[in-house]
Amino acid sequence: MNRDERGTDRQRRFGVLCEALRPDLLRFAFWLGRDRQLAEDVVQEAMLRAWKSFDSLADDGKAKSWLLTIVRRELARTFERKRLEATDLDALVASEAEVLAADDDAGLAEMREALFRLEDEHREPLVLQVLMGYSTKEIAEQMGLQQGTVLTRLFRARARLRRELGIAVEQSPS
Amino acid sequence: MNCLEFRRRVGAEPSVSDAGLENHRRECPACSRYQHELRAMDALLAQALAVDAARIRGPDPGVLAARTTPSRPRWLALAASIVISVSAGLALWFASPRPSLAREVIGHVAHEPGAIAGTAPITPAELAEVLAPNGARLRPGIGDVTFAARCVFESHVVPHLVVRTSRGPVTVLLLRHRDVSGPVRLAEEGYAGMVLPAPHGSIAIVGQDQKDLDGIARQVFEAVDWGA
Repeated sequence: MNRDERGTDRQRRFGVLCEALRPDLLRFAFWLGRDRQLAEDVVQEAMLRAWKSFDSLADDGKAKSWLLTIVRRELARTFERKRLEATDLDALVASEAEVLAADDDAGLAEMREALFRLEDEHREPLVLQVLMGYSTKEIAEQMGLQQGTVLTRLFRARARLRRELGIAVEQSPS
Repeated sequence: MNCLEFRRRVGAEPSVSDAGLENHRRECPACSRYQHELRAMDALLAQALAVDAARIRGPDPGVLAARTTPSRPRWLALAASIVISVSAGLALWFASPRPSLAREVIGHVAHEPGAIAGTAPITPAELAEVLAPNGARLRPGIGDVTFAARCVFESHVVPHLVVRTSRGPVTVLLLRHRDVSGPVRLAEEGYAGMVLPAPHGSIAIVGQDQKDLDGIARQVFEAVDWGA
């Protein structure tokens, strides 16, 4: 295989991986940043970075976590750069109403709003678990936390969601 | 394993299962219901998180590749075939048969046996808090409402009431999301009831051992004001 063919093959491989994973990366960035413009910018930047270091990805089966790590780092860099201030949650929800809307399904829209209102430390592991299908061990690795901390955060995230939604599902454990 | 340990584990990972959890779940109806509700909530959660990526918009990976070379039809065809395969898989997954409405309703009621047992009426404010998000209201005169909660049912948050009618307590679920073309009769696990078409979606009314369930159902149906 000559250099041109290798280059084409590399581009094709990259394109196929990104095409398949891009929707989830956008969703991940959106739920973490709670801003669709930010999500778009972050994913775009992350893909450029990924393209530049694509040779470091030896196993395509690990592309998802590899890309997710890049998106996550890019988000962190963006937050650091912009020094985002404490946000007015009502304004945040209103500004992203178009994405949060669920046609004819008030319950779904309500759940999305409740997710927006979760603290970052609770929302991220929940998104990784439910949207990205990560195990608690994988979440711990991704977030640099102890597995026990992840379990606690996931428990609290769901408890908070239930409270926000007014869902009575349990009495206190005996 | 005790209830606290069970709930800590299941609260963090609703789909988790092992022998210890299974044993406790079999022995403790309240914890079994807790896990059932959490799994239902997770289904709604998964749906909520899967926002339409097109609404967020994003970079086209083809653009990245095109920065160094012209676009390649073969590349696009390959990418498209993968997207089609994934879409077809998802379509098949979503098209897989759902449990029947009857089973879902009875299953939900059976998972909350404690709900029907209460006899003390809840306050009008508590009732309004449960019904208001759905825009519904219960007209007075139908009987005491002894239980009201918002529950996850078929990935939707729905009001779940227990009304003590003159002919006994019945469970009422307001299923705004679920249309039925005509009355659906339910009879499973010792429960009997029906789902009736309503101005918005449908209403499920379930009782145990009631003689005139049709009459009770009609009475309850007429007592619900569905709002706009």
